Amino acid sequence: MLLTEKEARAITEKMLGYTKADDASASVTSETYSHLRFAANSFLTSGRRENMNANVVVWINRKRGAASTNDMDDASLRAAVEEAERLANISPVDVEYMPTLKAQTYKPSLGYAEATANVPLVDRAKAVGDIITASEKAGVLSAGFHQAQASAGAQATKNGNFDYERRSIVSLGMTARTLDGAGSGYFLRSHYDISRLDTARISREAIRRALESRNSRLLDAGVYPVILEPQAVADLIGGFGFGFDARSAEEGRSAYSVAGGKTKVGEKIFDERINILSDPWRADLPGSQSTQAGLPAEVVYLVRNGVLENLVYSRYWAQKRERQPTPGPVNLIMETSGKPSTVEEMIQNTSRGLLVSRFWYIRGVDPRTATLTGLTRDGVWLVENGKIQYPVRNFRFNQSMIQMLAPGNVEMIGTPERVGSSEGQGGSAALLPALKLKAFKFTSQSEAV
Amino acid sequence: MTTSRRDFLKVTGAALGAVTLPAWVFEAEAAADVSVDKNKLADVALSTAKRLGATYADIRINRYRFESLSTREQQVQNVSRSQSFGFGVRALVKGTWGFASSRIVTPEEVRRVTEQAVEIARANAVFQRKPIQIVPTPKVVASWKSSFEKDPFDVPIDDKIQFLLKLNQTAMKAQGVGFVNSSMFFVNEQKFLATSDGSRIDQYLIRSFPGFTVTAINRASGDFQTRASLGGPQAMGYEYLEKYPWMVEAEQAGDEVVAKLKAKSVEPGKYDLVLHPSHLWLTIHESVGHPTELDRALWWEANYAGTSFLTPDKTGKLQFGSKIVNFVADRTQPAGLATTGYDDEGVPGQKWHLVKDGLFVDWQTTRDLAPLVGRKQSYGCLYAESWGAVPFPRMPNVSLEPAKEAVSLDNLLGEVENGILIYGNGSFSIDQQRYNFQFGGQTFYEVKKGKIAGMLRDVAYQSRTTDFWGACDGLGGPATYQLGGSFNDGKGEPTQSNAVSHGCPIARFRGINVLNTAVRTA
Repeated sequence: MLLTEKEARAITEKMLGYTKADDASASVTSETYSHLRFAANSFLTSGRRENMNANVVVWINRKRGAASTNDMDDASLRAAVEEAERLANISPVDVEYMPTLKAQTYKPSLGYAEATANVPLVDRAKAVGDIITASEKAGVLSAGFHQAQASAGAQATKNGNFDYERRSIVSLGMTARTLDGAGSGYFLRSHYDISRLDTARISREAIRRALESRNSRLLDAGVYPVILEPQAVADLIGGFGFGFDARSAEEGRSAYSVAGGKTKVGEKIFDERINILSDPWRADLPGSQSTQAGLPAEVVYLVRNGVLENLVYSRYWAQKRERQPTPGPVNLIMETSGKPSTVEEMIQNTSRGLLVSRFWYIRGVDPRTATLTGLTRDGVWLVENGKIQYPVRNFRFNQSMIQMLAPGNVEMIGTPERVGSSEGQGGSAALLPALKLKAFKFTSQSEAV
Repeated sequence: MTTSRRDFLKVTGAALGAVTLPAWVFEAEAAADVSVDKNKLADVALSTAKRLGATYADIRINRYRFESLSTREQQVQNVSRSQSFGFGVRALVKGTWGFASSRIVTPEEVRRVTEQAVEIARANAVFQRKPIQIVPTPKVVASWKSSFEKDPFDVPIDDKIQFLLKLNQTAMKAQGVGFVNSSMFFVNEQKFLATSDGSRIDQYLIRSFPGFTVTAINRASGDFQTRASLGGPQAMGYEYLEKYPWMVEAEQAGDEVVAKLKAKSVEPGKYDLVLHPSHLWLTIHESVGHPTELDRALWWEANYAGTSFLTPDKTGKLQFGSKIVNFVADRTQPAGLATTGYDDEGVPGQKWHLVKDGLFVDWQTTRDLAPLVGRKQSYGCLYAESWGAVPFPRMPNVSLEPAKEAVSLDNLLGEVENGILIYGNGSFSIDQQRYNFQFGGQTFYEVKKGKIAGMLRDVAYQSRTTDFWGACDGLGGPATYQLGGSFNDGKGEPTQSNAVSHGCPIARFRGINVLNTAVRTA
């Protein structure tokens, strides 16, 4: 069961009351999680977990210790506090210690739906049963994953702050494969409100892509113009917004570092229509009301009109640099300052290029240029003369994200959609657009389907 | 007579006070598990499941302890300990799995959660197409402990902090090293399993993962390079910190990261590769370990990790690599991260060949996978990362056997005209059917006419699994064999972490495609 605000407050107050440390923060989280997994048109595993976790961090003479437990009885909470105190007593001074926050005022964001926390088993089974029936009719074998999570938790400090929040998320991701293994399609969507998750659309899109990606042809690797669907953009840069760390840039070890110990802040690094921001109150992508450090979240532009406007300062690094810590990011939004285009318009405006639905197994290759490698998966099509011509085999790419979004390489930008990276399985999401790019570097072919 | 956990804590806490508490205060928690009668709780779960129509059921009552320390330069960034205790029940009803779990370990909660697991299975069974079947396994009543000499949870934190700070100081001796980050993670699993077959198994496992990364920066040019430690995680105790030459490697890493800044950028093209075990374990993991998972081959992982280029009809027929290539799956190997007495459904740890004399011959299986390829027994590959996670097929230790003869690194290099020697694992990526892969590394050395000719940078190689293993023409002897591994191998939905080792000798591969990964931005 999820903790109410009153219950969460009681637990954090109890933990703070147990400690004699100079400073402390206590947090508690409660979670209900359920999932249903199917594969080869059959039910695989399905389960439910209920858990709570209490965490305490203490500072004694500026020395830090931390401990956590999932036993919530008084003796266990006290044991966790004592463990943290003991660790603090034998640790060296925490030179990055910042006094815990005094009382803050938070502007709530709406990221919780009661219905998501209590998914009816029969309804969920039927929704997946319908997907399997649709797959059988279409002659495909489907695999998918439905998950719902609700959490409620609070963080309190010895200096008087208290921050309680409830959040929920539900997602369905699905892969359809033709029986001969020659076609494969994928679609994933999530929402905090289960009534906004369109399971029929997810099923329809995955099946369509599987059927339309059959009989793919081999194309040479090389540099191609591309149209990236929102899923492909999410796979590449779903976590991008959290890479704008000021400290690593100023220490000279980031893609935003430049010679002489400086950073690229103020430079036009991306196409001038591109904005990258965090906004806790976006209706389709509510972010947390507080940052990881507990600060009240605000709208933060990282990139505005292509210019790197902000790097992200932690409380410690901000103090060292004599500036304010950054009140974000708590989510990731990429949007255009200009008129957005549809994927259909992007196709119509392509003389020759590739339409990419998804990327897979993406890993960093060179942090200096934010260069990534990975592969296309579940549908790549050749576009010529404004029309989709035929599916092509998958490719491996090696591509700098900085170059990808640079001025001169971005031709068209879509309307942002709520979409999450496929490696993240729908557990997180961003608002990201489709992109039409002048050049994208594919370095080899893959026969995988 | 048993003492309740609360009473136990009251006694120890009041009598001893905070400073003189045991090395691990949560020991009190662990010791208090004695007061939880796991066998009685198991009886409740298994009888409830049977009464409600389950044809098979099991319950895991597990405690996990974690310790984490991290530092940078001469600062300690984090020292934390955590523990998690709870149980999970799995029930097979009408050929459909249901699972439920809770952190409240009482008979009433076990009964409620078991009913929930059955209810979940029953709701889904209405739409089930192919009922799950499981192969039998003999009843086991046993306890098992992983092989370690010094329990890391008994070693004082202060010793660990001093170790890391000394390591950082050593790494920063070389002029030009700008930063160093180091860390230690320790995991202890205390697992109890009871199955409706009658098995009752207690297990105690320890895993240790020390590591560091050094960074050198050229502020004038804006360039930077990193070098991560080559020693990886092991299923060993604190003796791993004491026996592995960590300080020697830290000093070497400092020198190497500075040298990397000035190293020659590689010329792309075909090279012979000589791969050290600190690098090759990851290539084995991705290109051999994952494609031989039977759940992937049967499309159970199609929506996430992917399928496999290996299919059941290729068993015993497909030439996976050259004749000298032999891969064994092994859950009995000392220090192996996936070594276990019994898996999470009571099947004993085993050792078997996946690739024999270059031929693909067998799979990794569980009790519900084995019958799908006509097997009567499981190889014991079921694992769950916690009490709250559904157990599912996970990789055993998968290792490349060394040459029987005493072949050295110099022997292997001696037959290379134009090649690259690679240490350590770097960037890694492979497609969803495990054909096309790309791997980087930590340090790279140009090999000319059988000799090391200098350091290289910006190296990654791309190949296709069977082409790559087919190009293997030289293996080091037993003296070159080392165990590498992953502490957190992700797979499944919801994704779970598995720790797994891969042993191998130094090995040579002919004519592999090498890329230059450096990109110049405007």
